[in-house]
Amino acid sequence: MKYEAVIGLEIHVQLNAATKLFCDCPNRPGDAPNRNVCPVCLWLPGALPRLSQEALEKAVLGCLALNCTIQNESAFDQKVYYYPDLPKGYQLSQHHKPLARNGWVDIVGPDGGLKRLCIHHIHMEEDVAKLVHETEGRTPISLVDFNRAGTPLIEIVSEPDMHTPHDAMEYVKALRAQLRYTGSAECSLEQGTLRVDANISLRPVGTEVLNTKVEVKNMNSIHNVGDAIAYEIIRQTECLEKGEPIVLHTRLWDPERRVTAPMRAKFEGPCVPDPSVAPIVVTDVWLDAVRGRLPEMPARKSARFMETYGLEPDEAAAMSAERDLSEFFESVVERDLPPRKTAGWIASQLVPLLRERNRSVGQTHLTAERFAALLGALKKEIVNTQSAREILGQLLDSPDALEEIIQKGGHRQLSDTGDLETLVDRVLAAHPADVADYRSGNPKVLGFLMGQAMKASQGKANPKVLKALLAQRLG
Amino acid sequence: MPEVFTYRNDSPSRITPEGTLAGLRVAVQPNLAVRGWPCDAGSRALSGYTALQDATVIARLVRAGAVLSGSSRMAELGFGLTGDTSARTVVDGHADVALITDTMGEVRLAAAGAGLFGLKPTYGLVSRHGLAGLVPSMESIGLAGADPGRIAETLAVMAGADPDDPSMPDDCTAGFSAVPPSGTGSLTAGVIEENLTRLDPEERLVFDVGVARLEAAGVAIQTVNLADYGLFQDVHHLIAAVEASSSAGKFDGVRYGHRSAVGKNWNDMYLNTRAESFGSLIKPFLFQGAYFQFERYAAFENACRLRGRLVRAVDDLLGQVDLIVLPTRRPASDPKRAATIQATYAAFALTLPASVTGHPALQVPNPGLAAAQDTGLQLIGRRLDDGRLLAIGQHLSFAAREGR
Repeated sequence: MKYEAVIGLEIHVQLNAATKLFCDCPNRPGDAPNRNVCPVCLWLPGALPRLSQEALEKAVLGCLALNCTIQNESAFDQKVYYYPDLPKGYQLSQHHKPLARNGWVDIVGPDGGLKRLCIHHIHMEEDVAKLVHETEGRTPISLVDFNRAGTPLIEIVSEPDMHTPHDAMEYVKALRAQLRYTGSAECSLEQGTLRVDANISLRPVGTEVLNTKVEVKNMNSIHNVGDAIAYEIIRQTECLEKGEPIVLHTRLWDPERRVTAPMRAKFEGPCVPDPSVAPIVVTDVWLDAVRGRLPEMPARKSARFMETYGLEPDEAAAMSAERDLSEFFESVVERDLPPRKTAGWIASQLVPLLRERNRSVGQTHLTAERFAALLGALKKEIVNTQSAREILGQLLDSPDALEEIIQKGGHRQLSDTGDLETLVDRVLAAHPADVADYRSGNPKVLGFLMGQAMKASQGKANPKVLKALLAQRLG
Repeated sequence: MPEVFTYRNDSPSRITPEGTLAGLRVAVQPNLAVRGWPCDAGSRALSGYTALQDATVIARLVRAGAVLSGSSRMAELGFGLTGDTSARTVVDGHADVALITDTMGEVRLAAAGAGLFGLKPTYGLVSRHGLAGLVPSMESIGLAGADPGRIAETLAVMAGADPDDPSMPDDCTAGFSAVPPSGTGSLTAGVIEENLTRLDPEERLVFDVGVARLEAAGVAIQTVNLADYGLFQDVHHLIAAVEASSSAGKFDGVRYGHRSAVGKNWNDMYLNTRAESFGSLIKPFLFQGAYFQFERYAAFENACRLRGRLVRAVDDLLGQVDLIVLPTRRPASDPKRAATIQATYAAFALTLPASVTGHPALQVPNPGLAAAQDTGLQLIGRRLDDGRLLAIGQHLSFAAREGR
């Protein structure tokens, strides 16, 4: 029998609000252990939760960016379970009345067409503390770091709309791009500010049943999400083919061994309404004000880039995918540079360099002004393309002025015909056999000689002038 | 007889305090945070725990010149009145007002047993910040004392908006004014027929004496019907048990309180800690709550729906009459001796309605009767009518003194 996978994702995203969700403690889980704690997040007797307005706003921005409908009234529940990472014996989460419902993101399907993936709901919840198990020494001990306890999260629950690892990976990417745009969250799988749990089940192709699912956790990159789901689909297919039933349970992805393995049975506690956090009632006026803080989102921006700057669809998509890069692009273009050429340089030259450095453009020394100046120098033939690539790397890494980098690196392009004539003559004299070859009717040799001449100029020769001289001399 | 106080304030300020409550002596229960005082809520689960900061009401009282005399004994986590000595702090002359957390009627029954006035304020009128509570949707910091006027002054200081307790409803944040509305004339009080039929002849007789006092004060008495009267107990029991089970989840021995010395791993440590921490009355209550949470959630949801219906029914009645009158206690069941949940609920049967609905309720003693005989008179008012109830209490108190 042929099977089809049914995949639903539950994604936890840490909001980058300044404080925790229910108290004024800094939202900095990475500080020295138990530095950011107070009676509320330690849940000392008599403490009461105070919902952070900033966290609420950031959560709403995220929900709007994912095309959800904000609910007029939402409320917190107590999700009961007992574990030392949870100081009050329950997690405050929105189980019965989530903040938002019915959202979607569009992804590009494997056939190149647009595919809409739906979001069931988004709710807010507080994160739990971090446990550190020290197993060395005579008596193993467990330490609890409450810095993370009570930090604000949203959980995005998808519909079971996905069927392939590709769908899931693209969904995470699309959702991450939308959320980052709002400025509400960093969304790094590697750093754990975006955590993906995948629910996977199989069904015979052509049926609509929802079979018993298996939950997979612990994927700390987009690739791991794809690989873990692919592995799990194969594992479950083999189970079914062997006649083994699929049992509801949770598995952990092991990135070293590249397999999923079962983890401890998770205790699912009940959820009862919390009487101490007042229900969240959203008024139209307030919602409009928050909506007003939503930036222009990628899809709309991409359409505008095509219309305003004449970019091709793939160029526009690339220029609008990340908020900071899109703003960088516009800022460069506004300095009177040709949009398509700028987009091409950003996509083919700048982005790979940023990726190598694992930084966003804002984290480098490059500014729109410096980048525009570089493209200007290229246009005015002060430097050639090859030098410009080299210079771009230096503009990213050092605060030195463009002029200084060109000067110090000797990047100024050689366009002086007299200088280049001498150089060409030297190269031709050094390769008499090739010159003869060319003259006897082999035009391919011109490329070789051109390369030799460029090399002799240390890459600084103006290629147009050089080519013309070569042709003339070989005549 | 055991010592009244578990903690006595040996160093009250020697400076004559100033403020509206200058010199007023206030006793608290050990579930209310006073910075530096033990705050164990009568439970081993919190043994050795010392409050880090003042509860909002404590800070306000001290700022207004009140003097804290000490911390009384209380039933474990404030469930019932077993072993409670808070009313005795007033009777024995150690305090003018005792703060007693009311979850099912504790302040009203403690006062009734001691011949005192006892007010359970409107739910949400008084901040719960700093209260190591058990049933967050019902508990209210109550006040017991001999003088309803002093209770009113004390409440005026305690009441009103508190940024540390955002659960207080907006209509409560304006606070409370102690200025009583003039007189008791032209008021009507409703006697619930479904309650009357549940009283035995002797209780009925004593209740009628109390109602006659109201009538003598000019309050018109009317019989009203509350068809769902019989639901209060189950609704209270189910919701309170579920909330208590959640609230007590924080007593895990990780950060404070008793921690069991035995256990192979953290799971064992939890189980043993909780087994050793809770006493024989609270433990089955927590079990019951966990049962409904985990196994019968639909029943809990039903109870919440019924609660909404009961609130509306009482609001409707209070549209017809200005206040509702009930006896406060049943002499046959002593809340201080209740050793089971059943016995506890039997003792508190008459005070559960206002705890379920959140309306203010005042216990008024009958000075003409011996304490053992007095069932007390319980006045239930509209939301935020706390001042009016105390004014009526004051009026009855004067009338009694003048022998009318």
